[in-house]
Amino acid sequence: MDASMIFAQFMSGLSRGMMLFLIASGLSLIFGVMNILNFAHAALWLVGAYFCYTFWYLMQGTALGLWLSIILAAIALAAVGWIIEVVLIRRVYNRELSEQLLLTYALVLVIDDLIKIVWGVEDKLIERPPVVADPVFIFGAPLDSYFVFVIIVGFGVAIGLWWFLKKTRYGHIIRASVYSREMVSALGIPIPRIYTGVFAMGIFIAGLAGAIQAPVGSITLGMDMAVIIQAFCVVVIGGLGSLLGTFVASLVVGEVYAFSILFWPEGALVLIFIVTALVLIIRPWGLFGTPVRT
Amino acid sequence: MNRYSWLGLIFIATLILPHVIGEFWIHVAIEILIFGLFAVSFNMLFGYMGQLSFGHAAYFGVGAYATGLLMLKTSVPLPVCLVFSMVAAGVAALIFGYFCVRLTGIYFAILTMAFGQLIYYIIFQWYSFTGGDNGLQGIVPPGWLLNVKNYYYFTIFIVTAALIVMWFISESPFGYTMRAIRDNTERTRFIGINVRKYMLINFVVAGMFAGLAGGLLGPFTRSIAPDLCNWQQSGVPVFMTVIGGPLGFFGPIIGSVIYTFLFAFITGFTEYWPLTIGLVIIFVVLYMPGGILGLVHEKMDFFKFKHLTNDIDKGLEKET
Repeated sequence: MDASMIFAQFMSGLSRGMMLFLIASGLSLIFGVMNILNFAHAALWLVGAYFCYTFWYLMQGTALGLWLSIILAAIALAAVGWIIEVVLIRRVYNRELSEQLLLTYALVLVIDDLIKIVWGVEDKLIERPPVVADPVFIFGAPLDSYFVFVIIVGFGVAIGLWWFLKKTRYGHIIRASVYSREMVSALGIPIPRIYTGVFAMGIFIAGLAGAIQAPVGSITLGMDMAVIIQAFCVVVIGGLGSLLGTFVASLVVGEVYAFSILFWPEGALVLIFIVTALVLIIRPWGLFGTPVRT
Repeated sequence: MNRYSWLGLIFIATLILPHVIGEFWIHVAIEILIFGLFAVSFNMLFGYMGQLSFGHAAYFGVGAYATGLLMLKTSVPLPVCLVFSMVAAGVAALIFGYFCVRLTGIYFAILTMAFGQLIYYIIFQWYSFTGGDNGLQGIVPPGWLLNVKNYYYFTIFIVTAALIVMWFISESPFGYTMRAIRDNTERTRFIGINVRKYMLINFVVAGMFAGLAGGLLGPFTRSIAPDLCNWQQSGVPVFMTVIGGPLGFFGPIIGSVIYTFLFAFITGFTEYWPLTIGLVIIFVVLYMPGGILGLVHEKMDFFKFKHLTNDIDKGLEKET
C-alpha cells in the first residue's frame, strides 16, 4: 500500500462522491424547497442515463456526440420532470408525508418498468470518446480521465447552484419560499410555478448526473435501487435541505466507500448505514441542517 | 345483520374455502393470511400510532430466519419455533426501536429504513450462519402440515389468534393511547404519558407479530432469502394497508386480499407487475386516500365500521 495507491483511492472516492452529489443535490433541493422527499429521484436519474445512451446512439459518428448527448439528456429529463410535477406531484403538496412518499415510491415502480419496456433488459454500453479513453497520470497514479471530468462537473454544479441560490433573483425567491410560502405568495409570486421550476431544476441535475454516469461501466436495470438509498443517506447526513451539507456528505460517503473497499469490502454499505443511523440518532437534522425543520 | 355476524360469516367461509378452490388458490390464500398478518402488524405503527415505518420487513425477515434456522438445524417443533420467531423479532425491534421512537415523521421513516437495510446486509454478509445471499433452502414443515390444506388451517388458526390479540390490544387503553399519540403527541405528553416508552412498546409488539408472520412464511415457501428484509419488501405491507385503508383494523387484511390476489393474477400473464401495482398505488393515493375502507365509509352508509378516528377525514389532513 503506497502513497500513489492511496491517492488513487482518494481520487476514486472523490469522483464517486461527486457522482453522489450530482444525484443528491437535486434531491436535497427538492426537499428543501418543496418538503417532498422524491423517492423517484434515482429512477429518473436512470432514465437520464438511458436518454444519454439513446442520444449517443443516434449521434454515433458525429464529433462531440457524447457531450451533446449529456446535455440533451439532461434537458429531456427536465421536461419529463416538469410533466411529472404538474400531473402528479402538485396534487400531494398538502398531503401527509406518507402519501407523498407512497406516490413517489409507486412512481419508482412505474418508471423502472417503463424503462424495461422502452429499452429492454440488456445492459447498454457507451463507447468512450478518445479524449477520455486513456488514463491520466497525477502524482504517478493512473487515474481514469473520465473521473477528472466527473469531478470538474461536480464542482461546477456545486458552484453553479450556490451562485444561483445566493446571487440571482430567482434563487432569492426560492430561498424565501422555503422560509415562508405564504409571504412569497402574498407578494404575488405563484408558488406552484416556483415549485415546478425547482422540481424541473432538480430533475435536470439528476439527468445530468445520469447522463454523466452512463459511460462509466454499463447501464443496467435496477441501478437506481442501490443509488436511491445512498442518496437518502447523503441527504440525511448532510442535513435535509442544506446544499453545503449535501456536498460535504457526498464527499464523505464517497471517500468512506472508496477506502472501506480497501479494508472491509463487504462492509462499505453497512458503514454508510451505520453513519446514517448515528446521525439520525444524535443529530437528526444532519451536519448542516437547521434544527427547526422536522 | 350487525358487524359481528358478517365477521362470523367470513370466518366460516374461510374455513370452507380449501374444499372449493384448487390447490394453487389455497397457496394464494395462505399467502394472503401471512401477509395480512404482516400488514396488520405494520398498521399498528401506521394507522394507530401515525408513523410510517419503511423498515418493518426487517422484523418479518428476522422472524422468518429464526424459524428457518431452528427448523433446519434443530428438531424444535414448529409452534415453538414460531414463539422463538416472535421473541427474536421482538428483541430486534427493541434494539432498533429504542432509537427509532426518538424521532417522528420523515426521520422516523428514514431511520427505520436505514436499520432495515442494516439487518438486510448483516443477514446477507453473515454467510456462515445465515447462508448469505443463498438464503435457506429446504425448510420443511412437520409431517402433519405437509398437506397444503393442513398448513392452511394451521395458518388460519395462528393468524386468527394473533389478530384477536392485536384487536384487544388496539381496543385497550393502550391502543387508545396510541391514537392519542398519533393525533396530538404534545398534548399526550402533557397529560403525563411517557410517549417514547409507549411508542417503543408498540414498536416491539408490532415487530413481534411481523416476526410471527415471517415464521409462518418459511415452512410455507420452503426457502427464504435475505430479500425478505429489504426496503422494497417493507413497501409491501405499506401498499396493502394503504389499499385496504389504514383507519380500520381489517383494512390491511382487505389490502392483503386485493394485493396478493392481484399479484397472483397479474403475474400469470405479464412480467410488468411493478408497473401495475405502481399505477394502482398512484390511483389510490390520489383518488382513494382512505383506501377501500375509506371509500366504503364515504359512499355506503350501509357498511358502518368502527374506524380509528372520530372523523375519518380529519385523520388524513395534514396539521398545518
